[in-house]
Amino acid sequence: MTFKGVSIVVARWLSSLELPFRLDRGLPQANLRLVVDGLAGALALGVVVASPVAAQEKPSSLGLGIFTFTSGPAAAYGMPGKNAADLMIDEINAAGGIGGVPVSATYVDEAQGAQGVIAEYRRLAGDAKNQVMVAALSSANCLALAPLAEQLEVPTVGWNCDTHQLLIDGKSKYVFRPNGNTVPEFIAYAIYLLDRKPDVKTIAIINPDYAFGHDAAKIFIAALKALKPDVEIVAELYPKLGSPNYQTEISRLATARPDVVFSNLWGADLENFVRQAAPRGVFTSSQVILALGETVLQRVPLPDGVIVGVLGDGWWMSPDAKAKPETVKFADAYKARFGEYPVFPSIKMANALIYVKAAYNTAMQKNGGKWPTRAELADAMKGSKVGTLTGTAQTRADNDGLVDQIVGVTAKTPGQQFPVIGDMVRYKGDSLMPQAGQDPLAWIATLKPEFAKGLPKPGSYK
Amino acid sequence: MLNAIIPLLLDSLASAALIFFAAVGLTLVFSVLRVLNVAHGSLYSIGGYVAASICLFIASRQLNPYLSFAALLFSAVCVAAIFGPLIERGLVRWTYGKSEAVQILITFGLFLILEDLQRVIFGVQSFYEDAPMRLLGTTSIGGVVYLNYQILLVGMAFLVVIGLRLLINHTRLGRLITAVVTDREMAQSIGIDTNRIFILALSLGVFLAALGGALATPTSGIAPGLGADTMVLAFAVAAIGGLGQIEGAALASLIVGLARVLAIYLAPSLDAVAPYAAMLVVLLIRPYGLFGSVAARRI
Repeated sequence: MTFKGVSIVVARWLSSLELPFRLDRGLPQANLRLVVDGLAGALALGVVVASPVAAQEKPSSLGLGIFTFTSGPAAAYGMPGKNAADLMIDEINAAGGIGGVPVSATYVDEAQGAQGVIAEYRRLAGDAKNQVMVAALSSANCLALAPLAEQLEVPTVGWNCDTHQLLIDGKSKYVFRPNGNTVPEFIAYAIYLLDRKPDVKTIAIINPDYAFGHDAAKIFIAALKALKPDVEIVAELYPKLGSPNYQTEISRLATARPDVVFSNLWGADLENFVRQAAPRGVFTSSQVILALGETVLQRVPLPDGVIVGVLGDGWWMSPDAKAKPETVKFADAYKARFGEYPVFPSIKMANALIYVKAAYNTAMQKNGGKWPTRAELADAMKGSKVGTLTGTAQTRADNDGLVDQIVGVTAKTPGQQFPVIGDMVRYKGDSLMPQAGQDPLAWIATLKPEFAKGLPKPGSYK
Repeated sequence: MLNAIIPLLLDSLASAALIFFAAVGLTLVFSVLRVLNVAHGSLYSIGGYVAASICLFIASRQLNPYLSFAALLFSAVCVAAIFGPLIERGLVRWTYGKSEAVQILITFGLFLILEDLQRVIFGVQSFYEDAPMRLLGTTSIGGVVYLNYQILLVGMAFLVVIGLRLLINHTRLGRLITAVVTDREMAQSIGIDTNRIFILALSLGVFLAALGGALATPTSGIAPGLGADTMVLAFAVAAIGGLGQIEGAALASLIVGLARVLAIYLAPSLDAVAPYAAMLVVLLIRPYGLFGSVAARRI
């Protein structure tokens, strides 16, 4: 109501300008007053609505800009995220919304490329209704949007972008990442591999040809070199993102005859690779590591013993997840609505929305129950510790999240028709992360074999 | 490296076979209709989607799995029967005699429409159907396990080259096509129904594209974006071989296949650019492609 009063006062003051500036122009005085009052009122209201202060009035709905891939090969990974967002928003709204405000999402397809994504971000940020951006899936898009988030002062939660470069300068005020970082993610595979196969000598890598693929390889190799310096990399293949055919790469892997094949292929690429590599014996001749392997467990018949992971702790069947009724309910609702259980991108999205909801609750607690501004919301995310569907997201001073890492191997279980993750380990989030501000690769180079000895072993997470 | 020579050659042939299917229809259509069909890649992926859908239907009804081989061919025939006449009558015929820029813009528009159409009908998720690949099993050659289906693909590519040669040189339709290609006005004046020839030629081009997509399906996934990738590669092959040259397309496919495979074996970081590097080298030496010439209109 305060703002309505301010609007009327501003409007009245503006309309009083008609006399000194002789704005009558032959109009009857009453009509003139009406016109000027209307214009001035509209202007004043526009100013008030567009200003961040107005956000302290509870809006009729809370808009979220959610960026994911809804088309192209990456949609195989992006759509489970969108599905989870749809489901989670329905659940939030059924429970009364956030602080009594219903949530609505505007989805942006990241397949349009960085320029389109930036334009969409600007457009959504220009509408005060959209208080938060959940952006993005692609690390490249997150890197492109981060400066914009700071410039426009819009709280932005990276729901899936893992690149360690995102928050490396430690200066971010509005960009947060509660879901994972490439450094702990890929060190975890090196440690797990060496625990499980300490005599490994040769490794081949097949990763997608873009930043995520190259960064993952760099971190994985750096960790291996630090922890077991005699390991030899016999092939490094980087097929184009979205490649439909890997037959030549598979032949190349077969001729290199490595002890281990490591891959962070994902989405349709991963599914393609597995379908093409399995009949050609790659999974029997080498120990295969599929860093994002959980996403295809329900879709392709992976043999037993493949090392798979979830980039973080987001597996709906982990002991922690199964112990939470809300996670079981979410997984069952997801299965009922979309025909398969949530894969870890779905859980990452759900956890990101839980993180946003928690930030609203904290911000409203801090300011006496008022609807928070964007700045207040960002402030509430800083240093937060949020219980998610699968664990805890601890936000550090540099806005990066500490989440645990789960790694295991494919195994059969009588409870499911598809392989599950067995022989699991759960590494603590902070145990594999360099300190804020530390150069990640320099930190990895300092690791000694003793470092891994102090960490939990395969099979210890039950 | 010596122990990799046999796999390297086999991979080159298998890679070339897939590329050839994508390129030969494009070059045939250009040869007869003088239209560069930018939508060719979409027709390739539609062939793949239709084949996968029929194969998945066969699997879901638990019908004889060997029917999936027939399904690959049947889907290509269906796509050609529907899209060939439709595109020629509804769109391409209006571009005859117009500048290449207009033709490219119109077929590019068609490409965009077909890409969206696929998204609407088949969704954005990847499609897989590998029954034919699994049915044929594997063979170990030079210490590397190969899919027998890959070897079948190489054989199919040879069959298509021979089949097209036979069609053009030893059938009445082939002679009519040759007459139209050589001199369209003269062919019309002696009573050849050029409109019919154009429909048949375009449908044959669509059939070859759809057959390529269908045959690729058992060893490759299909997802939105495949059409664009295929189109670019087909253009590179057509440019290397010489536009309108069937043997040129076959040889160019081998060159591109070999370039890609060599890159993957020796310099993986050059994998994506290898086909275009090969194209650059060929076009610097022979600007009209290996079999092309300024005025020739042979097929």
